[in-house]
Amino acid sequence: MEKKGVILILIFLMALALPLRAGLTLNVTPDRDEPEGRKVILTAGEIEQAFRYDLFKKSVQDKDWIFVLGLTHLDKPVILDVENDTPVQFRIVAVDRNEETIEEVVSDPVVTQAMWFNTKRIVRFISMILVSGIILFYIRKARKMQSIYLRPIAGLKAFEEAVGRATEMGKSVLYVPGIMDLDQVETISGVIILGHVAKMTARYEASLNVPVSRSLVMEAAREIVNESYLSEGRPDLFNPDMVHYYTDDQFAFAAAVDGIMLREKPAAVFLQGKFYAESLILAETGNSIGAIQIAGTGSPSQIPFFVTACDYTLIGEEFFAASAYLGQDPKLLGSIKGQDIVKGAIMVTILVGVVFESLGFSFFKAIFNL
Amino acid sequence: MKPDEIRSILATDCGSTTTKAILIEKQGDEYRLVTRGEAPTTVEAPFEDVTKGVLNAVKEVEELRGRTLLKGDTIISPQKGDSGVDIYISTSSAGGGLQMMVAGVVKAMSAESAERAALGAGAIVMDVMASNDGRMPHEKISRIRHLRPDMILLSGGVDGGTISHVVEMAELLRAANPKPRLGINYRLPVIYAGNKNAASEIEKNLEDVTDLSVVPNLRPVLEKENLGPARDKIHDLFMEHVMAQAPGYKQLMAMTHAPIMPTPGAVGSIIQVIARNEKISVVGVDIGGATTDVFSVFNDPDSQEPVFNRTVSANLGMSYSISNVLAEAKLENILRWVPFEINETDLRNRIGNKMIRPTTIPQSLEELKIEQAIAREALRLSFVQHKSFAVGLKGVQKERTISDTFDQSSTGETLVNMMDLDLLVGSGGVLSHAPRRHQSAKMMIDAFLPEGITQLAVDSIFMMPQLGVLASVHEKAATEVFNKDCLLRLGTCIAPVGNVKPGKDFVTVNLDLPNGEKFNRTVSYGEMILVETPYAPVEAEIIPVRGVDVGGGAGQAVKTKIYGGLVGIIIDARGRNPFILPKNPGERVEKLSAWSAAVKEFES
Repeated sequence: MEKKGVILILIFLMALALPLRAGLTLNVTPDRDEPEGRKVILTAGEIEQAFRYDLFKKSVQDKDWIFVLGLTHLDKPVILDVENDTPVQFRIVAVDRNEETIEEVVSDPVVTQAMWFNTKRIVRFISMILVSGIILFYIRKARKMQSIYLRPIAGLKAFEEAVGRATEMGKSVLYVPGIMDLDQVETISGVIILGHVAKMTARYEASLNVPVSRSLVMEAAREIVNESYLSEGRPDLFNPDMVHYYTDDQFAFAAAVDGIMLREKPAAVFLQGKFYAESLILAETGNSIGAIQIAGTGSPSQIPFFVTACDYTLIGEEFFAASAYLGQDPKLLGSIKGQDIVKGAIMVTILVGVVFESLGFSFFKAIFNL
Repeated sequence: MKPDEIRSILATDCGSTTTKAILIEKQGDEYRLVTRGEAPTTVEAPFEDVTKGVLNAVKEVEELRGRTLLKGDTIISPQKGDSGVDIYISTSSAGGGLQMMVAGVVKAMSAESAERAALGAGAIVMDVMASNDGRMPHEKISRIRHLRPDMILLSGGVDGGTISHVVEMAELLRAANPKPRLGINYRLPVIYAGNKNAASEIEKNLEDVTDLSVVPNLRPVLEKENLGPARDKIHDLFMEHVMAQAPGYKQLMAMTHAPIMPTPGAVGSIIQVIARNEKISVVGVDIGGATTDVFSVFNDPDSQEPVFNRTVSANLGMSYSISNVLAEAKLENILRWVPFEINETDLRNRIGNKMIRPTTIPQSLEELKIEQAIAREALRLSFVQHKSFAVGLKGVQKERTISDTFDQSSTGETLVNMMDLDLLVGSGGVLSHAPRRHQSAKMMIDAFLPEGITQLAVDSIFMMPQLGVLASVHEKAATEVFNKDCLLRLGTCIAPVGNVKPGKDFVTVNLDLPNGEKFNRTVSYGEMILVETPYAPVEAEIIPVRGVDVGGGAGQAVKTKIYGGLVGIIIDARGRNPFILPKNPGERVEKLSAWSAAVKEFES
């Protein structure tokens, strides 16, 4: 009796040790790592005789199975796209070399859904809260009339000086808001700054000349100059022809502006907007007539030309921040201060990350993979 | 008379309350001050004749010197034997001095240049008008009528520049039809120093309502200032119109051998002469009861030419304006210099009392310390105003290179560079008549915060005005008397610029003293040290720690010759930029007392 029992146990253990007979299996589950849903993971067991496996799917709306793809092996999980909130079934068919079906299996219906909370973006979420919080804090601070220190920018301080020079010399102020259309953020910034310059020319009773190369820019610039003269209480000094269109063509426009410079010899030239190859042509001509020139652009390739040929140059961010500086609007001032703090924090973070990675510690980088 | 032949000089300064006379005589090859005397000014009723006060002051000099200077009501001139003097000169600030209004096109350009011209000529600038000053035309007209200045300086537009703006200012003047402060039968003197192309239009507008003088443009191009002609014209008109209207001045003008100058203009003149002759940068301050004047000569960083500037802080003074000092400086800033605990109400009451009894002087040590704390703030605020006015020309073209990409300097930066300052001269009751010279030195150091190596001096009896007018006649005599008798050399301040942790080494100073002794010491941050040594050359080697500058650059040692004085050499290791006083009251009082003891401020 005891001997029989021992034999049975041995048989049982041997049975466990032997591989089970592997029939075709199919398991489909939603991809839990995908916060947006729309993905399923398909795992299946292979069979020896199979030459190929054809995969089909069918959702509740479909009448027939739709072929998805053919696979030669099923040893790795397959990730497939599906519609969210729609039950879908998968069918796998194993065929031999003669294209004869050996075996097939159908999965249970599976439904994918988007997650309420994307845990992969926690760092981005916290960063967003921090960034928004810092900016809002400084806007609030600026609105409460608390002084906000912004680094003095010589170019921006010189705006009033340039208009003053034109006034003393009895000459005009020439303002070029770039050569591109209003779809460029630099043009928009240039037109906003024009509003501030127009206020100064109205106050100083200096004449203003704004040649433009795009019809839409002309309309916008005219409107903003008109508004500036009105706000300074000098609508009598406004003349729509102050803002005038020449041509869309890049070099024809440059030639026209150079012509104005040489004929009228303005005492102050503002080049504020998007410029390309004509930047040096304009700046050199302005320099040759002895005008104070203040350039501003976000185009890195034009900055060296402006720096060497102009008296003052607003570089990139300075140019975009000019409106806040000149207008002293608390909302804009606070937002600039907040953005600067955030930029500083990002720079420090990158530096710390580089140091840790260089020393072989990857935990800091891993935090940002969360 | 040739300058070399001049044997004696009599100079007077007619102030609002006192007329001061000095007698300078040639002794061997040099000119020296020999006697001074003073008498009350007699420009007001009942005398209404300024010469009475002048003669009284001269009489005192005569008695003290034992020489005859007067014959009846006239000064004997030239000198005959032991009687009389070779020249007689005078300055005047009686009757409120010269009060001017200036106007220009742009406030920061031609109007600022006009203000500089007027202040440099010794005027008090009552208002600055400009096209962009934000006032409506009727407000400007009302202001001109209300002010009644002695003179108006109108400028604006470069030569060939704007005409319309200048003519507009002239039209406002015409509409206001201003009357002079003195002499109702006279027309107001107006000096036009603007765009030469607008001169004919200006004449059309102003010739029949004012006494118009046209001089060369004070800003012919924006890159250049030409203040000389306007300043000279101001002096001429001051004599012809303002002085001629004041009681007794016609007789006084007949007595003098050189034109009477406004007192502050004369002080500016001597400071310019000294700066030019010795090739040094100078700051002079005169703190009075109602106003504080600051004068400076610094080199323009672009042209390397010396530039003179003067400012008048009309509301900062030690008696009539003392409450304004409190209002502008704020109580906590005054309290930070008081070396003992004091109730705020008590301090306010003391300041108020000084204002309503302006002639009182401190009766106790405590009162003296409070007065000197207020003086520090008055001097500091005046100097802040001066720094913001003493600036380079604005609106000029800049030449750039690619290296300027991230560091674009702007125009209109202050010319006052404390590291370049060689001589700081203090004047006025609180500085000149402080019970101990150490107090004057400490007050000037605390208020002006000199950087690097700076010589300190005070004007003993405020004779700078007389020497200023003397410089226009006999420059050698003026500089000799200035250096030997006018200035009391207090010593030299060594103030390294920078900050380190409290108690850490800050600077090492090695001195070869005139008595043969050597002073070698490393001074810790936060300390003040006094090395008592007379006014004689001292070979000095000053070695600051890394990052700290004494004039040779950060961390660089400086070997130079410095001078001691009545106080000595003060090593101020309290740091600069920023200079920080402890916030905690107990700690602050302790520090102030320690510094005070270190420089023997109140020790007898």
